[in-house]
Amino acid sequence: MSAAPILQIDGMCVAFDHPRGRIRAVDDISLSLLPGERLGLAGESGSGKSTLALSILLMIKPPGHMEAGVVRFLGSSVGDLNKEGIRELRLAGIALVPQGSMNSLNPVARISRQIADAFVDHGLRLADDERERRIADLLAQVGLPANVARMYPHELSGGMKQRACIAIAICLRPKVIIADEPTSALDVVVQRQVMATLARVQRELGAAVILIGHDMGLMAQFVDRLAIMYAGRLVEVAPIAEIISRPRHPYTRALIAALPSLHQRGALSGIPGLAPSLHDLPSGCAFHPRCSLAVQRCRGERPALREADGATVACHLA
Amino acid sequence: MPPLIDAVNVSKRFAGRLGREGTLALAGLSLTIDVDAPRVIAVVGESGSGKTTLARLLLGLTDPSGGEVRYCGTDLRRLGGAERLQFRRDVQAVFQDPYGVYNPFYRVDHVLRTPIRRFRLARTKAAGRDLVDGALHAVGLRPEEILGRFPHQLSGGQRQRVMVARALLLRPKLIVADEPVSMVDASLRATILSYLRRLADEHGISVLYITHDLATAYQVSDAIVVLYRAHVVEAGSVEPIVTAPQHPYTRLLISSIPRAEVTRDWLTTDDTNPRVSNAAGVTGCCFADRCPEVEAACLASLPEFRHTEARRAVACVQHRRHAVLPEGALDKVLL
Repeated sequence: MSAAPILQIDGMCVAFDHPRGRIRAVDDISLSLLPGERLGLAGESGSGKSTLALSILLMIKPPGHMEAGVVRFLGSSVGDLNKEGIRELRLAGIALVPQGSMNSLNPVARISRQIADAFVDHGLRLADDERERRIADLLAQVGLPANVARMYPHELSGGMKQRACIAIAICLRPKVIIADEPTSALDVVVQRQVMATLARVQRELGAAVILIGHDMGLMAQFVDRLAIMYAGRLVEVAPIAEIISRPRHPYTRALIAALPSLHQRGALSGIPGLAPSLHDLPSGCAFHPRCSLAVQRCRGERPALREADGATVACHLA
Repeated sequence: MPPLIDAVNVSKRFAGRLGREGTLALAGLSLTIDVDAPRVIAVVGESGSGKTTLARLLLGLTDPSGGEVRYCGTDLRRLGGAERLQFRRDVQAVFQDPYGVYNPFYRVDHVLRTPIRRFRLARTKAAGRDLVDGALHAVGLRPEEILGRFPHQLSGGQRQRVMVARALLLRPKLIVADEPVSMVDASLRATILSYLRRLADEHGISVLYITHDLATAYQVSDAIVVLYRAHVVEAGSVEPIVTAPQHPYTRLLISSIPRAEVTRDWLTTDDTNPRVSNAAGVTGCCFADRCPEVEAACLASLPEFRHTEARRAVACVQHRRHAVLPEGALDKVLL
């Protein structure tokens, strides 16, 4: 694996100013993404997953701001881009499918117009028949019938709307697709269809994918490598088979154990306690109040991320 | 004594617009919920299978197009004032969205105090406070962390547990929980579901748990009803249905659950058959157009409900050698 990363995040810190003081939603995160790789980003609500995704596209809005950190796309820093360059980057370079995007489709515009908007916004002047042909191709790529182009969002089911969003995301053939909980509102059967569509489209484009979510089952079946976030920091990064067969961090183990088993009844266990408030992070390891293995050292000293045969983990006990 | 809730061959068809055929949301379903043996019954199916319609019919929020839902022997539509009040107390609901059910202008206390006032549950303020504290403790919340706060100051999991506490205040006999955990984190799901389970075990409350997730249904319920496009396709006790499903649709539901295992076979199985519209007047099995095991007999007529095991019934031609389950006898397999 000597290929140069397509996307590299170095020391990313995102802070939000709040009347009760500044909080850090993303705290010193470094990650890289190889071409064609599927990277998962998992953690509970509020762990900073979505904020990290927005920071990659320089989309953090006040009261939030990027305190530190560099994002390199194809080797060059996105911070150096001018307005036009940033516009190019978004959608044409890195496409984001935001959380709940299927509910953000314009209710009074046909699907074809919503795809064509992306062409127009990126200065692509296409003849009518060429545009129609490309829209039909895109819909076919995500497994939607051609007549969907003339439909309005309310005429589509949830799974079809989510596929329409994927069609918009890939219309300019991006190198990276960031999908933020793309199936959280869908039922299991449709979830598999949408994820299969995403996997196929990604292979065809040769794009890399960052999948954000909290379902470890979905991660196990979809991503190549998984990064676990807790309270704005990375606690474990490893190839998915390693994480599933040998989770190192107690939080990772708890996330996996929280999945309801299909083999054994009555084995349902949540993660005790609540995710910490970012205003008042526990001392030492932020997970220690909820960790059954915590020792004195965990309360006083924050564990650093370090390599440990085949995985990167931030835990004193790993 | 008549059972608490008795749905008799209840069906619902939503009217279509001029010239269009209506949509069948629920085909004749009979279900009895009695108070003697509190159980958790899961109703499982995908979006559009009729799960929520069933919940609304049992709660009296929607009137059936055919059949009737009886509360202690009386049709819900003919309940008198006092009976209706008692029904509203005995049968409680917990809905999917723990964000939409709160009025953001009121403190959380409001949803807990209103039922106490309406149903005159407490004589004094202190007694009311004790009731609220007790209900919050029962769902694992500390009153001092919850009361006096506004809904936006609580997490989704806390809000959903407050809704369970609110239902618990009224000492109901049945709680209808419609997708109570689909909008909360995987880590909190387990906590909320374990409290639903305790309602039956410790408080003697029956629970109708409506979900699309067979894995959580397996964990918390005693019996399962699998719905597909308005029809019950498989029903019975939970263990055999999940470990050895007999209907191809139940098998599809189980294989669709992504498992946290090293073996990756989830995306390689393809089930993206074209889906025919529900209203398209299908005469045969409702699942025939998506069924990988479809045969000629499936298209001829609606398969009958067959009693395949003591605690299981399946509507699939593959089980035609078994006896037909008599009309309205679904409860026998759910016991």
